[in-house]
Amino acid sequence: MHISEGVLSAPVLVTGAALAAAGISVGLKKMDYEKIPQAAVLSAAFFVASLIHVPMGPSSVHLVLNGINGLLLGWICFPSILIALTLQAILFQYGGITVLGVNTVTMALPGLICYYLFGGFIRGENRLLSLVAAFACGLFSVLLSGILVAGALLSTGQSFIAAAKLILLAHLPVMIIEGIITLFCVAFLKKVKPELLGGVYEKTS
Amino acid sequence: MKKRHNTRFSFTIIFLAAVILIWSHGPALAHKVTIFAWVEGDTVFTESKFSGGRKAVNAPVVIYDKDGKKLLEGKTDNKGEFSFKIPKITDLRVVLNAAMGHKAEWMIPESEIREAGPFVEKKSAAEPTGPISVGLSKEEVQKIVEDSLDKKLRPIVRMMTESKNTKPSFSEIIGGIGYIFGLMGLALYFKNRSKKRKDLKIQDD
Repeated sequence: MHISEGVLSAPVLVTGAALAAAGISVGLKKMDYEKIPQAAVLSAAFFVASLIHVPMGPSSVHLVLNGINGLLLGWICFPSILIALTLQAILFQYGGITVLGVNTVTMALPGLICYYLFGGFIRGENRLLSLVAAFACGLFSVLLSGILVAGALLSTGQSFIAAAKLILLAHLPVMIIEGIITLFCVAFLKKVKPELLGGVYEKTS
Repeated sequence: MKKRHNTRFSFTIIFLAAVILIWSHGPALAHKVTIFAWVEGDTVFTESKFSGGRKAVNAPVVIYDKDGKKLLEGKTDNKGEFSFKIPKITDLRVVLNAAMGHKAEWMIPESEIREAGPFVEKKSAAEPTGPISVGLSKEEVQKIVEDSLDKKLRPIVRMMTESKNTKPSFSEIIGGIGYIFGLMGLALYFKNRSKKRKDLKIQDD
């Protein structure tokens, strides 16, 4: 899911950086005292998740956990994911420093979208519906990430359809695994600490 | 309140421990792709793999000279290897384009090609005109030594490329998590300071 250094053209990098900066500034504004530890924990989870690899064809794919990041953090997932990506770039050479902006957007934006799409259902009273929504949240966040990566790769001359097909095929197992992980997280949190799911933006908005 | 904190804390610990456990037992496949190239005689050999050891199969490799002009291109075979005759004595830049935005490159400096290749002294010229003597000439001895050294060193070169591609070490992962929590501490510290200042102001007023 990480795009390497030197693949993308300058306009795409700048656009990505600008979008990421916008998301991060909103996220930082929304980050209050209680959210800081939460963001750090989820950032750490995201950082480690990329090390869990599922072999797929010639390449391998890894967990992303951007769905659960977006779901629990909302806009704050932008700074949270940026920090994790920066450390991954420095320590493991995944992605790269110049691509940070694009990578942040391709992973944080789907999380944010899923937060708005499924957040309501997940917080809802209906248990079954909330679990289904949690699964969908994990699945769609990876799916949307794949589509965004394919879109970013457009500039390299790769055809969108071909790139998207490859990425989505490769990430199919990850989507399902992420869905299941998100489902279990939500089920657990609903039981143990429901305000973690609901509280994030009720206070900020 | 205290109990709640404990629950959250233990949840985090369990989650991170599980993640690390899965990582250490899972297949060691990573997301970074690397290419390594070395010169033997007039041929350049390249080896491409994803970190962790999985070969980059059927991936396009492009060779550029030092001005960025494309000299030739090819594809890695099913062992992730690709070799080509040196087209020109110059700095060579070997670029691998694996799918999904992964890219790696390796530089071969001109000096390496000159040293390894038969470009300095023509082999065919030296042999027939050589003196019919019992001993070998200095050049011949040097040539034989270099050839056998090349052969003997090849496994070592391979080993070095393999060691370059190890998966992220445990200390790096723990270090990354440490950074994240350190940043959290910093953020909390600054939030706390500004809050204290506000409180002081209120007191002064």
